[in-house]
Amino acid sequence: MDIDLKEIYWLDELSKEYNDVVGKKCANLGELVKIGLRVPNGFALSVRAYERFMEETGLKEKVVQIVEKETKTGLDVDKDIDKMIVLSATIREAIEASDMPPGLAGEIGAYYAELQKKIGIADVACAVRSSGAVSMPGQMETYLNIKGESEIIRHVKKVWASAFTTRAIVFRIQNNMPISWAPIGIAVIMMIEAKSAGVILTVLPTIGDLDRAIVEGNFGLGESVVSGDVTPDSFVINKNEMCIESRSVAEKTKMVVYGDAGTAIGEVPSELRTAPCVDDKEILEIVRVAKDVERHFGNPQDMEWVVDKRFTFPESIFWVQARGAKYTKKDARKDDEEYVIDLMLQLFRT
Amino acid sequence: MKIYDCVPGFEFDESVDFEISPAWFQDATHSVPPWTPMFGWFWINFCRHGMQYGAELLSLPTVKGWDWRFKDGGGYLALLVVKDPKERKAREERFRVAIKPFLEDFSGMWKVFVKEMMGRYDKLKALNLDEATNIQLLDNFEETINTCRRMWEIHMYMMYGVYTAFVLFEQMTKQLLGFDDSSPQFHKLMSGFDNKSFQVDKGLFDLAKKAQAAGLKDVFLSTSASNMRNALKPSQKGQEFLKIFDEFNEKESGWRLERMSEINVPTWLEDPTPAFAVIKMAIEKGMSYNLDEDRKKLEAERLATEKEILEKIAPEQRGWFKTILKLAQDCAWFSEEHNHYLDLYAHAMVRRSVLGVGRRFAKEGTIDSPDDILFLIPDEVRKAAINPDMFNLRPIVERRKADWQQWCKQGNAPAYMKEGFTFEDAMKGLVESMDPIALKVVVGSMPVARPELKADLFGVCGSPGLVEGMVKVVWTEAELSKIVKGDIMVAPSTSPSWTPVFSILGGVIVDRGASLSHAAIVGREYGIPVIMNTFEGTKVLKDGMRIRLDANMGAVYILEK
Repeated sequence: MDIDLKEIYWLDELSKEYNDVVGKKCANLGELVKIGLRVPNGFALSVRAYERFMEETGLKEKVVQIVEKETKTGLDVDKDIDKMIVLSATIREAIEASDMPPGLAGEIGAYYAELQKKIGIADVACAVRSSGAVSMPGQMETYLNIKGESEIIRHVKKVWASAFTTRAIVFRIQNNMPISWAPIGIAVIMMIEAKSAGVILTVLPTIGDLDRAIVEGNFGLGESVVSGDVTPDSFVINKNEMCIESRSVAEKTKMVVYGDAGTAIGEVPSELRTAPCVDDKEILEIVRVAKDVERHFGNPQDMEWVVDKRFTFPESIFWVQARGAKYTKKDARKDDEEYVIDLMLQLFRT
Repeated sequence: MKIYDCVPGFEFDESVDFEISPAWFQDATHSVPPWTPMFGWFWINFCRHGMQYGAELLSLPTVKGWDWRFKDGGGYLALLVVKDPKERKAREERFRVAIKPFLEDFSGMWKVFVKEMMGRYDKLKALNLDEATNIQLLDNFEETINTCRRMWEIHMYMMYGVYTAFVLFEQMTKQLLGFDDSSPQFHKLMSGFDNKSFQVDKGLFDLAKKAQAAGLKDVFLSTSASNMRNALKPSQKGQEFLKIFDEFNEKESGWRLERMSEINVPTWLEDPTPAFAVIKMAIEKGMSYNLDEDRKKLEAERLATEKEILEKIAPEQRGWFKTILKLAQDCAWFSEEHNHYLDLYAHAMVRRSVLGVGRRFAKEGTIDSPDDILFLIPDEVRKAAINPDMFNLRPIVERRKADWQQWCKQGNAPAYMKEGFTFEDAMKGLVESMDPIALKVVVGSMPVARPELKADLFGVCGSPGLVEGMVKVVWTEAELSKIVKGDIMVAPSTSPSWTPVFSILGGVIVDRGASLSHAAIVGREYGIPVIMNTFEGTKVLKDGMRIRLDANMGAVYILEK
């Protein structure tokens, strides 16, 4: 596939094939857009943007010099931890202190301006997240709730700098990767003001019932549901009839909200605790979209949704993840046959 | 009933048939050129019966088979779509149970059916038609009718079941792996399987080798196929060769008809000229049966492709994926092999019995010549069968023969449609039926014209590849002899008895077909590019033109006129 190399892309220009260009997180979001899901709007800075930044600011050479200087006498991951902390701090400081080259700054500014226009919110708050081509979970930072052009640019540099955290440097040494060159992509995406969030599985995972879907959710962000820390609201939907067959509304006391740095646990207001976190209309819309995705990929899906309180239904429903669902099967051969028969019947229903 | 109806009860009648369906499609694959009345009677009655039988036994949720009509020698079909959602649901429940045997042991089922049919054929063949009494002859005829009906029951039951799997598999590859049945990867998964039709071809190529070993090469090269027997007779070696040839023809290749869906041409057993022609062609053109060699390569490629795609599928999904892959692959060989045991063999039996009666009728003065029987229908045969000397059926024969000649001259319309109903509406109906046979054999995908390619003709890929070569337009088996190595054959559609010539072809272009049509299946096995559904390839392309055929893009370019 021909990939037109740019510094910045809109999410809808991306797909799985862009993994090496913009990193995994951005490529995955692009893939979701491509299959027709509404994902939080935003743009991606490519590895090339990082390279341009490092070259035009002279940081590329500078970092090499710093590394050479600090590792002149050799570097032992287990013993020289102090040395690595100094190395990390020196490089990060150098990156954060460098001005964004005017050309690149102008481009980021233009995309941010366009994003505000697209969403219809001035100085829209964004998350600035690292997006590596290979996942190194937790090794690079994410900044939430960033508003305004100059702040966005400042945090883009912070994410680039975060590729030189001590942990990241250790990881690269252990994996025989160069210390001084750590290209990553960045996702700048609209922050969701979550009324509620959760997951949908287009199969009942314990019995492998493909005619039904299960929606689970809580107020606030989806982490509480995904991590299984709270008892969420739970709804079973018949996918063929599109009716809610059973509902269990839990008493929800805690929810996940955005704090100053990252997420925090908050209290669910007392008047909301026993109310369902999504209404029927939202549930059925979530199922409808998930069924489309299931049909697209040909297998049951495990997807994460968020309802944004600022928008009206159905524009309020956003998707942040879609992947094949894992579910239990009993006798493998018999089950495979049953499943094939299910798929055949599905064929006749399209 | 008018006495001149060919297929009583199923003659196309606009005033009532548009109520059943607003669109009736011509079966261009089988009923062009127009059928004789006798064969039309068999096809319309029993293909129709078989489809409804198969769809009912399987309880296909959306379709109850097809209805058929006869008009001027053409077969016209309409799908019996299940519209009521409740009924669909009830059929789904029964389908769950009915499809199971296919998933459990498809080839086991097929073996049982082959045995049943071969038993029926043997019983029919046991009667010496020319020595039989009139009553025995009529019994044989009735039993042939039953055999043909049973053939279509098995045919359509098996086909509906296994084609459902094929359509599903194609959808799964599209969704999970991003390629469909026109992609080379898909074709690799379906290639490298032996089948009975190929084994018969192999037998003929072996005979060519034996003829050369016996020093008969010059006889074959200097004699026309139709005169081969006389030329071989005088020598000892020639007689020895004829003995093994006749044995093979009686046992394996003889029960073939040039046209799978008509009985007005001799079987290879009656007239082995086509078999001699294949042997002659093999010797002349230095052809050897390379399919066994090729198959090893194709099989290795298939296994490698299987491995490659399975890795792309999540481990927990592999089990069912393999189940459906296996059945789709069964479909690939079944699509070709069933022709040998079902259509070709059963219709050869119909010809045998019908002509047996024809000879008796001609002898007793009921009709003028044995072939005239093709212009009668079974009810009329029954009318005169026990006492043929008492009846004169010539007036019916005369009138029908004149009609048939007229049909052949005028040709038939591709569809009959109610006023205000468009071709697009009709196609939509076909797709909604989800009828797997309609989708994969009769209709196929419609070619997409891509102006940017600046091609002269568009079609759909049946087997991938790119080739340049000389056009040879082939309408009948007799024209196969003009093909030389590397030529691109252009035909309305291809017949199973044409398979041997595929080994020297550069490529194939057919007016009509889909991914499970004969040309596509055989093209894939021989690894040559095939384009289907060009609709007007036989009109646009002429003998001697040099063309480039890009099957991957579904495009044909005329290089030199």
